[in-house]
Amino acid sequence: MLLQLKDLNKQYSSGVHALKNVSFNVEEGEFLVIIGLSGSGKSTLLRCLNRLLEPSSGSIIFMGKEIAHIKGEELRLLHKQIAMVFQQFNLIDRRSVLTNVLTGGLASMSTLDSVLERFTPLMIQQARKCLQIVGIEEKAELRADTLSGGQKQRVAIARSLMQKPILLLADEPVASLDPATANSVMQYFEKINKQFGTTIICSLHFLSLVRKYASRVIALKDGEIVFKGDAKDINDVLFREIYGDESSDFEIK
Amino acid sequence: MKKDEIKPNKEELFVNKHIQPGDERKSGFEMKLNFLKAAFLDLFLVFYTLLILHRVIYYKLFLNLREIPFSWGQILVVLLVSIILGGLWTASRTSISAKLFGFAKNTPFSKWSVEISSWIIFDLTFIAGWVITKISIVDLFSSEGISGANRIFSAIFSPSFSIFDDALFAIIETVYLALIATVLSIPPTFVLSFLSARNLMKDNKISFALYYLLRIVFNFIRSVEPLIWAIIFSVWVGIGPYAGMIALLVHSIASNAKLYSEAIETIDQGPIEAIQATGANKIQIIWYAIVPQIILPFLSFTIYRWDINVRMATVIGLVGGGGIGTMLMQYQGLARWHEVGLIVLMIAVVVWIMDYLSAKLREAIF
Repeated sequence: MLLQLKDLNKQYSSGVHALKNVSFNVEEGEFLVIIGLSGSGKSTLLRCLNRLLEPSSGSIIFMGKEIAHIKGEELRLLHKQIAMVFQQFNLIDRRSVLTNVLTGGLASMSTLDSVLERFTPLMIQQARKCLQIVGIEEKAELRADTLSGGQKQRVAIARSLMQKPILLLADEPVASLDPATANSVMQYFEKINKQFGTTIICSLHFLSLVRKYASRVIALKDGEIVFKGDAKDINDVLFREIYGDESSDFEIK
Repeated sequence: MKKDEIKPNKEELFVNKHIQPGDERKSGFEMKLNFLKAAFLDLFLVFYTLLILHRVIYYKLFLNLREIPFSWGQILVVLLVSIILGGLWTASRTSISAKLFGFAKNTPFSKWSVEISSWIIFDLTFIAGWVITKISIVDLFSSEGISGANRIFSAIFSPSFSIFDDALFAIIETVYLALIATVLSIPPTFVLSFLSARNLMKDNKISFALYYLLRIVFNFIRSVEPLIWAIIFSVWVGIGPYAGMIALLVHSIASNAKLYSEAIETIDQGPIEAIQATGANKIQIIWYAIVPQIILPFLSFTIYRWDINVRMATVIGLVGGGGIGTMLMQYQGLARWHEVGLIVLMIAVVVWIMDYLSAKLREAIF
């Protein structure tokens, strides 16, 4: 088992109880999708998994090791093993696409080398290969802010690949893209999952995408898990339970 | 924990927020404290009003005395009178402070008392300011005054070019002095701005303490005018451009560190999160996620600071900070107004050029 969550709770200092007794397991090679409304705790959950946030209580066992409260160098090593892709891409706008991808490898560089930007030829070669995987190697020298949304997200995926991650997290990676682009970006996640066997945990809004790509689904509502299982088992009753009565099917399905 | 304990109804939460004990009825202790505060404020207001009436209006305006007699005895008498009047005023619940602290009587007289006394305090303050500033329409338009103005303006507007070479060298000295002060300020400002950015320093107690200390130091340095720093450093390193440069340097670091750190505080957190998630260390996060976002604002602030420094350098020269200001002071002391005219003209031209250049440069950057 790659990842094991038990009774995970996260309460923010503002008093918001974002996660309530969340428990689930993730096997190696899975494509796990988390669904739920905005504010249901999806982002908080993902950020607890790679410990950008510290959970209030509960345990997270990653590769047989408790990581819920690790700090310092240990935490940095965890970040290196778990890559993350964000809704807003979070690229460095003013730098080249290639440099953006290279930042995925910062953890394996000395501080001095990275500040002087002395990337080894091997790293540059790897970065170009990562860009090749997401199909935009020809944009390597362009500035990141000249790209379109879909291209930016592909660069972000290439950056995460540069880490050679064991686990790849994606926080609503296609939520700010149009449907066609969203589908093409999701195909790259599928490719990474199938070709390299990288485990992926991804939060999504659209059920159509969930059905197409997820090997398993977890639904969150108000910080609690309300559904675990296969995407095709989500019937109308469950759908209303997760998304509320007012949501119309065609928008999300 | 039970489920319904963790998850209260949203509406209930909303309502609970607004009902807080003591909101409707203040506790007895709070009432007494407010009354005490109001009494002190009223005492101060009455004391202030009586002091102005006595010392400015009576002595200065009414008796037109040059030297105002001073004795602690008088002040004490005024204070005693104020304590009695102020106390009565507060106790009657018709005072300004009673209104401020919310326990004033709701009567026409109470409203009238607050309004009238506010007006009196405001007017007296204005009159006192007028008298202390020695404002005199007569001085401005007397024939003696007009002829003086005539003399200086006609001299200034016909500048003497006999000292052009010296003035040119002096103003070049000023520009370079400002330039060096600005350039030397960049590295320390750069480092200090990260240490005084709230979003980077708030995570642990030691760094947060350092953040507060730096903010206090910067505020202190900025609140002391460069002119005064120049006086201090001219005693320290001797009169001349070096002292002026250090004065500007100190002031530039403190001012720009504040601006820089505010730029850091408003950056997009997304890239920081992303670089942190790759396993990068703190320095790598700063270099890759923060620096690219702040480099342009930094450059823009720095160019603007050079512009400001050139202007300040001319003033600093007046107290021996070197450059054109020192020259201006010498000729002004000799009352050689034609030469002063040239110097003023040259300062105006250089400041205008700097202003224009810095605006253009900053435009080009963004």
